Amino acid sequence: MKLRENAAGSLILAILVILVLLPLLTVLIQVVCPGLSLNELDLGNLSLVLDVFVRPLWKRAFLNSASLSLYTTAAGLILAGFLAHIRVKYQFPLAKLLDVVSWILMIMPSFILAQGWVFFASGNGIAKSWLHIEGMNNFLFSFPGLVTVMVLCKYPMAYVAIKSALEWYPARLVHAARLNGASPFKAWTSVQLPLCMPAYFSAAMLIFMDTVGDYGMSSTITAVYSFPTLPYTIYSAICTSPVRFDMAGVLSLYLVVMIVIAMILQFYMMGRKRFDFLDSGTEQVVARKVSKPVSGLLSAAAGIFSLIALGIPIGSSFIMSFSNSFSIERFTFTLDNYKSVLQPDGALLAGVRNSLSLAAVAAVVGLVLGFAVAYTLTYSQFKLKRLIDMMTLIAMAVPGVVLGIGYIFVWNQKWLQPLGLNLYGKPEILILASVASAVPLINRVLVGGMSKVPQELMVASQVQGARLGRRLKTILLPLLHSSMVSAVLAAFGGSVFNLAITTILYPPNFSTLPVYISDSYNDLNFGYAAAATIVGGAFIIGIMLLLEFILNFGKRNKNADNT
Amino acid sequence: MKKILSFGLAACMMAGLTACGSSQTAATTAAPETTAAAETTTVSDSQEASSDSAPVQTEPLLVYLNDFDGVIGDMFKEATGYDVEVVVGNGAETMSRIEAEKSNPQWDVVWIDSMYDVYNLSQDGSLLTGWEPENAANLTEFSKGLVPDNQCFYPTGTHAAGVLVYRNDVYDESTAPKTIAELTDERFAGQVGMADPGVAAPAYPLAAQIMYSMGMEQGQEFFSTLFSQGLKVYPKNPQVVQALASGEISVALLQESNAYEMVSSGEPITIVWPEEGAPGSTRVAAINASSDQMEIAQMFVNFLLDPDTQQALVNTGDEGFFEPSVEGVSAKEERDPNASLAVADVKWGAENEADIKAWFADMSVQ
Repeated sequence: MKLRENAAGSLILAILVILVLLPLLTVLIQVVCPGLSLNELDLGNLSLVLDVFVRPLWKRAFLNSASLSLYTTAAGLILAGFLAHIRVKYQFPLAKLLDVVSWILMIMPSFILAQGWVFFASGNGIAKSWLHIEGMNNFLFSFPGLVTVMVLCKYPMAYVAIKSALEWYPARLVHAARLNGASPFKAWTSVQLPLCMPAYFSAAMLIFMDTVGDYGMSSTITAVYSFPTLPYTIYSAICTSPVRFDMAGVLSLYLVVMIVIAMILQFYMMGRKRFDFLDSGTEQVVARKVSKPVSGLLSAAAGIFSLIALGIPIGSSFIMSFSNSFSIERFTFTLDNYKSVLQPDGALLAGVRNSLSLAAVAAVVGLVLGFAVAYTLTYSQFKLKRLIDMMTLIAMAVPGVVLGIGYIFVWNQKWLQPLGLNLYGKPEILILASVASAVPLINRVLVGGMSKVPQELMVASQVQGARLGRRLKTILLPLLHSSMVSAVLAAFGGSVFNLAITTILYPPNFSTLPVYISDSYNDLNFGYAAAATIVGGAFIIGIMLLLEFILNFGKRNKNADNT
Repeated sequence: MKKILSFGLAACMMAGLTACGSSQTAATTAAPETTAAAETTTVSDSQEASSDSAPVQTEPLLVYLNDFDGVIGDMFKEATGYDVEVVVGNGAETMSRIEAEKSNPQWDVVWIDSMYDVYNLSQDGSLLTGWEPENAANLTEFSKGLVPDNQCFYPTGTHAAGVLVYRNDVYDESTAPKTIAELTDERFAGQVGMADPGVAAPAYPLAAQIMYSMGMEQGQEFFSTLFSQGLKVYPKNPQVVQALASGEISVALLQESNAYEMVSSGEPITIVWPEEGAPGSTRVAAINASSDQMEIAQMFVNFLLDPDTQQALVNTGDEGFFEPSVEGVSAKEERDPNASLAVADVKWGAENEADIKAWFADMSVQ
């Protein structure tokens, strides 16, 4: 048993080393070995690591990234927890809207959301020109404004993770608490909330990592008022000439340090306590009916929230997609952008096709790997599982451009050519990179779900002679159904819009949707880029809704049978 | 045991990487030989060869570029019959790719407006040097002066990396800036914006020319004053355009194609070509020293220096705002006929690039 666990754990570790650690190491190692040439080995360059205390830009970027991520994590966690709680616990007409909004926000790349906010809040933007709201630009281009936008952009991952954890209810424990005189709030704080700690920590990590590694938002909004962050500084290190991969490596190291600190903190707070509570005393939570005024209030709150979180950024882009002007102030209605985007032989459709096929493969492979990772982290005794956990977080926090460069170093080797493994310049490398990006999210969502399922259930069936496949099929997969659907959809949507990696790795004549949108934006075709975003996004969300329907079809039928 | 195996696998990969790192040095030391061999090859030779024994193309010529990706492949195919594949990316991404590929380069030709970066590539033998295409004879005097001594690249055009633009609903002709130096005047405090020389490809030639023309110390003083007066630095030119259009700033140093696009779209923007010459960004074409399609790559670069090619590029649309590098080409009609450009010395700009970018980045956060 232990031998098998170790073998499986080692295999997973090896895969993650190849997908994440090796590419990152090739960049980090440039600090002492520029160009990976042993002839240029110079340990004296290690002093560069301490430059964070010397160079004003690095120091500021480190502190900015840390404070931005911490504030966003704290506020995002509260928001996500609050929304997930309301969504799971109460019935109200617009409840489903919270899910839809969160899903759309989760798959939209941050640079597109940031762009929407700029269209809305800038000097002559929608807020001032059309709605006559003064001061929005001062708010957006300030630290509180940036944190607000960041929270609205990054909360959805946490929402999905927490919501899937809240769907099960430790009825017996809560009843025991109530019988002993605990108020509903006390029962929640002393029973339900502590049992959901893994999901909350997972959620916090997701927000923290996603924020600390975000380039799109920081490049669109933060630089405006000289608020450099680590990803932006890493990008500028790569932009220097001769290219300084060593500096990018050192700056990426700071990100890794932040991850390690966050993990130590999490370990310290959670310790070795157990959080599994799914047993015969557990019930699936059924949303409670509430009085009409309360239901109306909740719907109004959900509607207003959705309008702000999604309506502003996507709505602003939607408005810009009908204009050829650079600013809202000079808006002139036109359908030209949509006509160009929807041309049957247009490049956009080719980009969408490429992105969809990449994302489909990445989601499936990522789900298998992410499931294996989550299973190992939750149930196995593998000694290096913390390392596995850390690597998945690194994949999320390290900017895509750094991982992309690492991929070139790893997969563009002459000696791989005879083996047919020289993947650089081929679409396969994008699949590997997309899997590496998708695994952290899949893993986090599944770990949140698995932590509720007691190992005893698995052991009992094993004692009865059930093999691993049967145990997974009859116990784990049914209990994790909604987590699995969430994970695969998030991975699929995220991969479609993964800009950073595809920009640096895309093969000749293989354009992808995000590269296409980004290029249009850089060519100043703002309206066209907005139209491409709306069309591409609508197309992908349509596919995701269809997928969600198909994947949950069996479950719905079963529920119908039960009732 | 398996754990050890997994680390073994990783170690093998690393060993392979470092081994390849060592072989890269061999490749770069071998480069001068390639260069020397190529020195005797001129385009007239290759064209002559094409009539006798035209080079056989085994795979498409791979060109890394940042503009004209939609047209150049078809144009070259039509003129020569050879296939071209392009990888389009901004200057930084393209240079990162080239640098990361060094042990096993995939590209044949790089054609981007990052003259100083490309020159730096030639310092370790990555580029074909000492070669002169037949059409280099067509170069204008200005462009001839940009060809470095080692002939590692040829300019195909120069555009203004920064013309002065101002919102004409805020300033008028009498109050608007006429020279770059005037931007430090207090009436522009908090109103000036530009792209980040550390991130935007055309913004470094802009900063370099200012530092070069004023002298490093005075140049730094100039930018320090601008920063103290609230200079706003945006990652790239599209963000500068948005800031201008939205009224966040009223004056900017902006890439000329972006400036003309703003004017043609009806934004209240006026363009001023600085009296001392607008800092220029030069698009150059260079050939990979280890390209296995050397003849076709040379034909491609020669093709870019053909007046008909450059005229077709000028006529392509928004990307066509540039001063052609060869004689006999008419620039865009919208362009100011008296537009003058100034470009910092190639060697100076290349040698000081890292320092200027680092200084600029550190200053911007103080």
